[in-house]
Amino acid sequence: MRMFSAPVAGANYTSDTRNYPWHRPPDISDYDEAVDYIITKLKEPEQHELVFSLIELDFTITTIVSTILMQGIARGKFSIDLAILIAGPIARYISIIADDSGLKYDMGLGDEDRIKITPTSLKIALGIVDDEADTDTTPAEIMSDDGGLMSQVSVEEIDAASADEQASMLGETIDEEEPADGLA
Amino acid sequence: MKFEDAVVKSIRNFMRGKMPKATSELMDEGRFYTPEYFDELEEAFADDEDIKEPEDEDV
Repeated sequence: MRMFSAPVAGANYTSDTRNYPWHRPPDISDYDEAVDYIITKLKEPEQHELVFSLIELDFTITTIVSTILMQGIARGKFSIDLAILIAGPIARYISIIADDSGLKYDMGLGDEDRIKITPTSLKIALGIVDDEADTDTTPAEIMSDDGGLMSQVSVEEIDAASADEQASMLGETIDEEEPADGLA
Repeated sequence: MKFEDAVVKSIRNFMRGKMPKATSELMDEGRFYTPEYFDELEEAFADDEDIKEPEDEDV
């Protein structure tokens, strides 16, 4: 933007923003009235065909509802808050008429409620029995059964030396063997 | 939160049968477009289909 073609500072305070429909009080402020208005509009052939065409083009119901509501807000029919409140009924109505017409659709509500597919859940669903799963042991179990290198040794596990071995280690009994050839 | 996110949240809650309580309490007669109304509407559409099908077979 060139320096002298920019708006004068404070120009936004002098412009008449009331010209925009969404800056004026909305035409509809009642929940039922707003839903009724949208449903009546959707029953018009042009709107009906448009919505069905969008569904066939794989647009989600959520996207279609958002677009319809944005149009209503832009035209000053209802406020943003009321638009959010009536989103549910509008989506439900569109899904009903799509079902009635045999159209396949996606609600576009994300995958929060979706059950996550894991290898285990897939094996269970397919009835696959995994042999490794039976012998599968956790590291904690391995440690508790066999003991680790740093684990405490029990008394039973200690292989004590015999009394003779202990005495020989202490140097108490030294058996001096006589030489066989009698040289000493 | 974006407008689209709010719309998704609103639709999800309505599908679960939740309605904004505070807004409903403002109305004496209650709301007309409730989840129950749409359930009945869906049944009505399904019933219409059941009626239509035999007519098509006759034709």
